[in-house]
Amino acid sequence: MADQTSHGIGGLSYDTSKRTWPNEANVFIALVLLILGFEALGQILPYMDNQSMLLDFESTRDGTILNMARIRIVILQVAIIGIISLGVTQVIISGGIDLSSGPLVGAAAMIVMSFAQTELVNGQLNPKAVFGDWAFDLPIIAPILVGLAFGAFIGAINGSLIAFTGIPPFIATLGMFLICRGISQWWTKGQPVSFPSDQFAAIGSGMMPVVWFALLAIVLALIMKFTVYGKHTYAIGSNEDAARMSGINVKRHKVMVYMIASMLAAFAAIVLSSKNLTAQAGMGQFYELYAIAMAVIGGVSLRGGRGSILGTVLGAMVFGVIQSGFTFIKLDAFYQLMAMGAIIIGAVVLDQYRQRQSSLR
Amino acid sequence: MKKIIIAAGLTSLMSTTAMAQNIGVSMALFDDNFLTVLRNGIEETAGQRDGVDVQIEDAQNDVARQLDQINNFVASGVDAIIVNPVDTSATQAMTDAASDAGVPLVFVNREPINVDTLPDNQAFVASNEIESGTLETFEVCKMLRAQGLGNGAKAYVLMGELSNQAAVQRTKDVEDILGIDMCSFIEVVDQQTANWSREQANSLMTNWLASGEEFHAVIANNDEMALGAIQAMKSAGISMDAVVVGGVDATQDALAAMQAGDLDVTVFQNAGGQGTGALDAAIALSKGEPVDQKVYIPFELVTPDNMANYMTQN
Repeated sequence: MADQTSHGIGGLSYDTSKRTWPNEANVFIALVLLILGFEALGQILPYMDNQSMLLDFESTRDGTILNMARIRIVILQVAIIGIISLGVTQVIISGGIDLSSGPLVGAAAMIVMSFAQTELVNGQLNPKAVFGDWAFDLPIIAPILVGLAFGAFIGAINGSLIAFTGIPPFIATLGMFLICRGISQWWTKGQPVSFPSDQFAAIGSGMMPVVWFALLAIVLALIMKFTVYGKHTYAIGSNEDAARMSGINVKRHKVMVYMIASMLAAFAAIVLSSKNLTAQAGMGQFYELYAIAMAVIGGVSLRGGRGSILGTVLGAMVFGVIQSGFTFIKLDAFYQLMAMGAIIIGAVVLDQYRQRQSSLR
Repeated sequence: MKKIIIAAGLTSLMSTTAMAQNIGVSMALFDDNFLTVLRNGIEETAGQRDGVDVQIEDAQNDVARQLDQINNFVASGVDAIIVNPVDTSATQAMTDAASDAGVPLVFVNREPINVDTLPDNQAFVASNEIESGTLETFEVCKMLRAQGLGNGAKAYVLMGELSNQAAVQRTKDVEDILGIDMCSFIEVVDQQTANWSREQANSLMTNWLASGEEFHAVIANNDEMALGAIQAMKSAGISMDAVVVGGVDATQDALAAMQAGDLDVTVFQNAGGQGTGALDAAIALSKGEPVDQKVYIPFELVTPDNMANYMTQN
């Protein structure tokens, strides 16, 4: 056994043979089981006429055995919240929490859309114009930069409050939650902002949200795994004091973590408002909680220091499968909410159990 | 010196309080598009009336918070209160709170359960919710018939937030219309909630499309969800001529979609008119003038034929 023992950080040793089963594999298995469950229900339930959720045996629609339409929507419907959850993942790994991302989406969407409006709607002046003539049909970079700058600003406040005043992340971002809700309602006094330019509408049309989600997930995964930024984030989340003593500038790093999270949420707002061709004050409701839930289902520990972007992506897929699965078997939304709640709790209970097991070894 | 300035400031504040008509407004939800138009109607009208100050609060869809707001208005001595009830079955407590203090109260937009027993200094201004879903669904039914589908047609129903009275009523209207002989040829494939949201309706519709089932109409409880369904169908390459889509609210976005030939039916509810009516009733009551206790503002059907009349309304 001796040659199977490795030495990790701080002189901890662990048995390599017991560490070969990554947490992400569990989430993946859960995902497969869920899909199989819904496929089984499609066969068993009498009113379903032996339909399949993800397969299309007659190849009637796409010319393939797969029901591509369903597979696309499974991912598409979680892609935008998924983008937020990427940022939330690194916040949670750093030992923090971000409750402000949902309202930030609403506020950022309102602000971004005001700079993305087009002049003529069906040949008439845009009835929802927020600013004067100068703000019509601006180059697409304008709304994007405004949105990202707003996100960076909010994130910098979140991070600075947490790093320099020492208040708990929960409180700082809860305050920001309400501030952003207020901003989104104040911006146009609650009026929706609609009718973007064609270029802006292209950002989130069709499967573009999934493209953005995938791209950003890859970038974030590489950053978390291979860069100093990523390693410091894990180190701070595992043991903040140790991280500080080993020379990491913890305060500056935390500000960066929250800035990146808020910029990702602001980008999600850009994609969301583009996809819907409108921005409304109530947008992004509960997104912060769904984003946290995706990360938690994906095995990111709320105690910090543990988890991965891949896990969060799989967690997002679990959400997508549940949402589509329930529509597939024609069950109402309240059962969907109950099931999601149960799955979130179950995932954390299982994770706690696993952690206890591994610490007993 | 400072004290004198503050004292002077306070006196001037108090004197304006004494002269102006102060009206407290508790809205069910700021985030709602329709209620925003109504709220703006109240504010704009207040700006046009001399010496009328309104203070508008957001009850955030919370019955308890709304009652607290009314009690706070009473405590700060407003001249009248306008309430857009969160829950129409919880209005008796509000009526009691205001009438105990002798403050006039006007319910707006949603019909309170105690509408027939309101005290003399209370009134209500609203539309009858039964009309909206009925007008919408009946028009969808007529359009499907006109397309020669009178022998059988299938429809999806998009419901608003299930805890909301309007969503429940409009969905019941759909069921009632599909129950009459003339429209019983329409079969509902599935009905689900998309919480009034365009984004959620888009996802839900795309999920429905993935099942590949044939359908001819989408009946939505509001315009936002109808627009979400339209976006989903367009992404899937479905011709909007082949599907009848109905909504409620006649928002600017919806009328633009109707102009583009995507949306077929919507229903106009005069939000601004309700706001103005409620404020005028509140002002009159606070001066002790008589008002009509029940004012119904009718819903109006909007189709491509008459949409031009509504372009600048909401």
